[in-house]
This record gives sequence, C-alpha cells and structure tokens, in this order.
Amino acid sequence: MPDARFPVQEVSGVPVVIAPEEIDITNAVGLRTALLESAARGHGTLVVDMTRTTFCDTAGLHALVAAHKRTLADGGQLLLVLAGQAVPRVFAITGLDRVIPHFASREEALAHALDGPLPST
Amino acid sequence: MTVADPDSVEARLRDIQSITDTALSGLDANRLLAELLERTRDILRADTAAALLLDFSSGQLIATAAAGLEEEVVQGVRIPVGRGFAGRIAAEHRPVVLDRVDHTSVLNPILWEKGIQSMMGVPMVAGGRVIGVLHVGSLTPRQFTAEDVELLQLAADRAAAAVQSMTAQADRVAVAALQRSLAPSALPVVAGAEMAARYVPGTGAVGGDWYDVFTLPSGELGLVIGDVAGSGLAAAVIMGRMRSALRAYALETRDPAEVLARLDRKMQHFEPDALATVLYAVLEPGLGLMRICLAGHFPPVVALPGRPAELARVAGGMMIGVIPGAERPVTTLRVSPGTLMCFYTDGLVERYGEPIDDGLARLRQVVTAESPDAACSAVMQALVGRESARDDIALLVVRRLAVPGPQAGLVTLGEVGAYA
Repeated sequence: MPDARFPVQEVSGVPVVIAPEEIDITNAVGLRTALLESAARGHGTLVVDMTRTTFCDTAGLHALVAAHKRTLADGGQLLLVLAGQAVPRVFAITGLDRVIPHFASREEALAHALDGPLPST
Repeated sequence: MTVADPDSVEARLRDIQSITDTALSGLDANRLLAELLERTRDILRADTAAALLLDFSSGQLIATAAAGLEEEVVQGVRIPVGRGFAGRIAAEHRPVVLDRVDHTSVLNPILWEKGIQSMMGVPMVAGGRVIGVLHVGSLTPRQFTAEDVELLQLAADRAAAAVQSMTAQADRVAVAALQRSLAPSALPVVAGAEMAARYVPGTGAVGGDWYDVFTLPSGELGLVIGDVAGSGLAAAVIMGRMRSALRAYALETRDPAEVLARLDRKMQHFEPDALATVLYAVLEPGLGLMRICLAGHFPPVVALPGRPAELARVAGGMMIGVIPGAERPVTTLRVSPGTLMCFYTDGLVERYGEPIDDGLARLRQVVTAESPDAACSAVMQALVGRESARDDIALLVVRRLAVPGPQAGLVTLGEVGAYA
C-alpha cells in the first residue's frame, strides 16, 4: 500500500518519489520501503526528488543507500534530484555524491533515466 | 461459526485491551502473548492459537507463544517469510483463511499432524511494518467468516502494539547497557595529553554512536568516533561489532586507511545492510603528528591557544558500507602543544531547518583550547542546551598539553597515502 508521506509520480514509466522536507529516524524506514516498492514497480531505475528536503541524517542516507544498492542489483539506477545546500553538503561529507548520480533538476534526472542505457524496454 | 452478539464481541475486545494495558506495566512480551492467545482462542471458539514474531535479521517467523499448540513454541518452529501459511500472511500483509490443512498449504508439520482442519491467520502490524503473525485453528472443519477475521485482526493489532512497545522498552534497556559496557569506562592516561568525552542518547531512539580511545603497541594513540545508521538494539549491536573489529585491525596495521578499509570489507561482507560514518586517527607517541582518515565522517574542530577554532582540513572518504575498495585518503596534521581537538557525531551539529554549516560554525565559536572537560561542558551547553536532541550525540575532546616551545600551529601536511 503506498505511503501517503512519500508521494510517487510516474513520468514515462520512471517512478519519481518525492522525499519529505526532513528525513530522520522517525520516517527513514517508511521512505526506504517506499523507495524499494517503487524500484520494484518500475524498470529498476528510480528518481528521488529531494528538492524540498532540507534535513537528511544518517538514517535517511541509510534508506537511500539501500535503494541505490537494490536498483544496481536489478540493473537499474537510483537518481537523485538535489537542491539547496543542506543535502548536497551531507552528500559531500559522506562521500555519497561520488557514488549516487545526482542532478540539479528533475528534468535532468529524468532525461538521464530515459536516455541512458536503462531502463531497457 | 460466528460470534453471537456484537455487544459481547465488544466486551471481549475490551478484555483483550485490558490485558495489554496491564501487561505493559509488568508481563514480558511472551507472557502477554500467551495470555492474549488464550482469550482470542476462547472468543473465536477455536482450538489452537499461535503467535509468530518476525526476526528481522533472518527474515523468519519464530513461534513465540501458543495456546493449544505449545509444541510450536517448545520446538522453536521457524517459518521463512513468503513460505507456507504464516509466511504468506507476513509476505502479503493480509489475512489468509485455509479450509484445508495439509502439506500443500501449511509448511509446519505440527499443524497437520495435530489434526487441525481449518485455519485463519492475520498479520501483526506495528508502525506500518509486519512484526508477526497471529493464527487460530480448528480441529473440526469450519468456515471462518469475515467477522472472525476482523476480530482476529483486532486482537493482532493490540498484540502488535503491546509487543512493539515492550520490545522498544526492552531494547532501550539493552542498548543503554550495551552503550555503558562499550564506552571506555575511563579514558586512557597518556603522558602529555588530556581527554574528556560525552555520550547522550537521543530522544527518538538510542542509536549507534560511539567513541573509543586506546593505546597501541607502537606507543601511538588510536582515536575513534563513529555513527552507525539506524537505531535501537540493532544499530547498537552493529556498533559494538564495528568497535571491536576496528580495535582488532588497529593492532594489525598502523595505517589508518588500511584499518578502515579492512573494517569496510568486513562490514560489507558480514553486514551488507550496515552503513556508518567513522573517523579513525592515530596520534604518534610524541603527540606532535596525527594521521587521520575519514569514512564519511565530519572532520574534527581544532583550537590553538588564543586562536579561534577551525574545522580541520582533512580529505574526505566514503562511508563504511557503500562500495567495495573505496579510496581512503589519509591526512597528516601537525598538533602543536596546547592544541585541542574536538571529535563529534552529526547529532551535535545537525538541526532541523538549519544548514549543517551553521551548526559547525556554532561549534567552532564555542570550542577553545581549554581543559577538555570544560570544553565538553561548554559544547554541550551551547549546542544541546536543555532540550534533548532527537539523535544521539557522541563527543570526544583531546588536548595536547602545552609545554614550553615554539608555537608552530596546525598545518596540513597533505595526503601521505591512499588506499584503493
């Protein structure tokens, strides 16, 4: 059952999960479930729109890394839309910015998802 | 067979509710469940009732309590999620009714050997996740109705809430004990250095933050601070494993990058879902140089006497648990006499609706090259204040004692090695 806290849109078959403003221990498990479910529904590739996210602690990163690993294992990719300063800063400190592809806008992320070798149709 | 009259259904549900309420104050989870199962069995006029709780690490349902089916518990029955009757309920997150019980529909031979003819089971859900399965069985063929299922679901919801709450409570006690046993009871006494530390559990859940200080056979001093993602007992247990694995690798090699690389490999192999940030630094015996390696962790804040504190310029490296063979740069810092170094976890500097850099700036403003204990107190006072933080916080402060001599300052010597 979809979790109302994490709305999912679908653009040309690519699920786009809208991340909340704050991701922490209180909602990270829910986010993880939402991401894994969306990944399973699509072709393996998944966009997480973190445009409105201003806070993401290690619990949030845990959810994103889990989804990143799952999409890779399924032959897809986790693509992030990052805006503002807070989340990119966390990604830089943790090194995740070098591992998980990220884009400044949803359009760029979707273009990458659709133009790239994946998803295969 | 259905339950006769709605009033009595409600009355009996109230009975179930009252059991859970009383139980919360005293009984342990298993006894509460046993009590609840007997009531449920009576209300539904069934012959057996059993509760299986999900063990998240193995993905198996473990028979935890039973009424009329005690052998399930005694024999430690385990059902993989997705398989058999109970496994299907947990996987599909919905009630299942079986009119025929045999080896094709039920995995557990105890059930059909016992002569159970009909069964129904529902998921136990807490916080949006399945935490177990509750089922009842009848020794005579019987058609369980929608009302029966609904009643069982209500009992399961109450059982789930009670189990969850008691597990959380037991977890908190266990985690607190674990944290106490793992934090160095006394920081080592090192000539020429002073140290102090703080650990404060968050309000949300006790987590996986830790710090560690140990002397090495080389005469060097190892300094560790880390943060395991997640919370509760699961995170604390992983933290304990990481802490002792890091200590073991620190004895094997003097290179901090190699220590973290081995730790990363170990975690990725044995706990592939674990994710953590770790800082490991090795201070040479004279305390004048520190080799430091960051695995996704914040750099220390460093203060020299009479100078504003700064965020040390240390090359960053990947968190533990992300990719195999991550590059692990080491930065060497010169630590002049009187220098104070402050190591911390994200709970200290991360605040909702505020850039991390603001938190880091506040930390820099309050850290001065004073006694480590006073520095810890000042930091906690300024950054935590009176309101408990949601995340847990670890803080470790080490100062090289001032001795007469030239004041060289803190200089980044650059990367002296990288592990790929």
